[in-house]
Amino acid sequence: MQPLVRVQGVSKYYPRVHRPGERLRAFAALLAGRQSREGAEVLHDISLEVLPGQSLGIIGENGAGKSTLLKVLTGVISPSRGSVEVNARVAALLELGAGFQPEFSGIDNVRMKAALLGMSSRELERKLDDILAFADIGDYVYEPVKHYSSGMVVRLGFAVVSASDPELLITDEVLAVGDESFQKKCIRWIESFLGRGNTLLMVSHSMYQVQKLCQRALWLEQGRAREFGDVFPVTQAYLAWHEEKNASESRFRREQQGAGGLYRVAGFSLPAHAAGEDVSIAAGSDLEAELVLYSPDGRPPVALFGLMRADGTPVYGVGSDFDGKAPDRVDERHFRYRIRFEHLPLLPGSYSIRGHAMDSAGLRLCDTAEIRFTVCGESRELGMVRLAHRWLTGQGHPE
Amino acid sequence: MKPLGNNVFRQLVSRAIRTDYLENLTGFAWLLLQPLLLLAVYAFVFTTVFKARIPDAGEIGFVPFLAVAFWPWTAFSEAVLRSSASVTSNAALLGKVAFPSELLPLSTVAATFLMHLAGYLAVLLVLQLLGTPIHWLGLLPALPLLALLCLFAGGLALLVSALQVFIRDVAQILPPLMTFWFFTTPILYGASLLPPQLAVVMQFNPMAWYVDRLRAFLLFGDFSLAPTDLVVPAATVLLFWLALRFFRRFSPHFEDFL
Repeated sequence: MQPLVRVQGVSKYYPRVHRPGERLRAFAALLAGRQSREGAEVLHDISLEVLPGQSLGIIGENGAGKSTLLKVLTGVISPSRGSVEVNARVAALLELGAGFQPEFSGIDNVRMKAALLGMSSRELERKLDDILAFADIGDYVYEPVKHYSSGMVVRLGFAVVSASDPELLITDEVLAVGDESFQKKCIRWIESFLGRGNTLLMVSHSMYQVQKLCQRALWLEQGRAREFGDVFPVTQAYLAWHEEKNASESRFRREQQGAGGLYRVAGFSLPAHAAGEDVSIAAGSDLEAELVLYSPDGRPPVALFGLMRADGTPVYGVGSDFDGKAPDRVDERHFRYRIRFEHLPLLPGSYSIRGHAMDSAGLRLCDTAEIRFTVCGESRELGMVRLAHRWLTGQGHPE
Repeated sequence: MKPLGNNVFRQLVSRAIRTDYLENLTGFAWLLLQPLLLLAVYAFVFTTVFKARIPDAGEIGFVPFLAVAFWPWTAFSEAVLRSSASVTSNAALLGKVAFPSELLPLSTVAATFLMHLAGYLAVLLVLQLLGTPIHWLGLLPALPLLALLCLFAGGLALLVSALQVFIRDVAQILPPLMTFWFFTTPILYGASLLPPQLAVVMQFNPMAWYVDRLRAFLLFGDFSLAPTDLVVPAATVLLFWLALRFFRRFSPHFEDFL
């Protein structure tokens, strides 16, 4: 299948042009046919393909280069290196209302935008009523755009784009603006647009939207492609990374409680996985952990197991004394606890499991070990845990 | 140019005409009034104060002699000056929509010429009513000539608007340069007044050829063309082509400098 978009090894430098001297030097470099290397590199060696029907979501932090990549894709700016090939009727909506000039009336701007999108005047006349109906801003279309609210600009911009019948729609945070009912209208339109076999290329900070509308995702980090692939693993990795980042920023210093680790964790492992490897568990499968504790006085210590999300949010914790369980004695000073979480209901994402050593009375926490793992799978459910549920249909009686 | 260009170009031209000339009621009136006032000033200074005799004008008189050349010059100079900022002032549009950006200076030039053409025809009519025999048949060659002049302005517009993106001083340097050009072109005076050494130099001023031909067509009914008259049109087309290449060579980098 012929890709709609093929990007190969694209890098983008912005030359430094703030002072006249820098401008001249950058211009001289251009005249000499060189790219100025002085400036900031915004994109580094990006390669991707977009196949028909394989919508792509571009995600990443602010300043990661998402908007620049969209500008390169739409041809607004040219890459410093690499090539961009687009084989589709493209409509781009970068920063909604782009191309609108505030001094002109809405209708004038619609004409201009339609022309920029490649519509002929005849085509526009035919579609004008539909556009105005979609925008639904009444007689405001005859007012200068500078008197519009931002929502009205969005409505008009989206209305024209939707009328231009593109094969590939490139948008930058479209759905973030506009009121609830217009957002719904846009989503409905995009869904029917995708249903007709068209393709969407969007930048979004909403993983929910990306997962809902896209099949593929590109995670940009400081201008580089950190991950590119199916939407679920990429968005999950991105979310997990965010959670960890937040956690490391605000992680409280866990105090070593108790008397200098009287009771210690001697070993903590997941028997199904070799030590040191990346632990990845299919959603809904079992998780087994083994904790070996050292007791200085030979009295069996209490074990505490805790599951937490990668950002440190506790999910579940249980102690051996809660359930009245005793450990297996390994030798004089070592005790082993094993636990199995069956059909682990965690939603896909990054988590960690901790094993704690407590004194034999279960009062003081003495030592902690931690293993990270990833739950993989595809799900649009929200939150951390799948709660058992049942949809009530018909008269409200359970099936 | 792609079909996309055509409609965008039309929109840009109509937009430029409306903002620059028709946004207020007096816009169009000023278009006629401003050159008319200037014309009156020049006529006063040169015929009443200096009592200049223009042998080239013959029986036509100074005012028609000046007017026929002055209007096209105004269109030309205004087109180039206006278009110099056409790319930089549309930075917001260029940063968000991909379209052939050469349409920006070219639409400015086209709009300026269209508006001044209307003024030019009005002035010719006024001259006729005031007793100057205008050779209306001369419009047949004069209109293509004006189109060529428009192309000339377009070529320069492409150059200066692209340069303006990189070197912001262009817009400052340009007005005095255009004034200099105005006085070194036989618009206020006839070419025959020039000393012979300067007349040789004047051959390299394409504007001199344009105004000379326009006067010949419209005032003197002289439609003769020599093979040497092909030089300026050829140079104009060549300039436009080179300027377009220059513009397109650098337009991908505009966004970095805006």
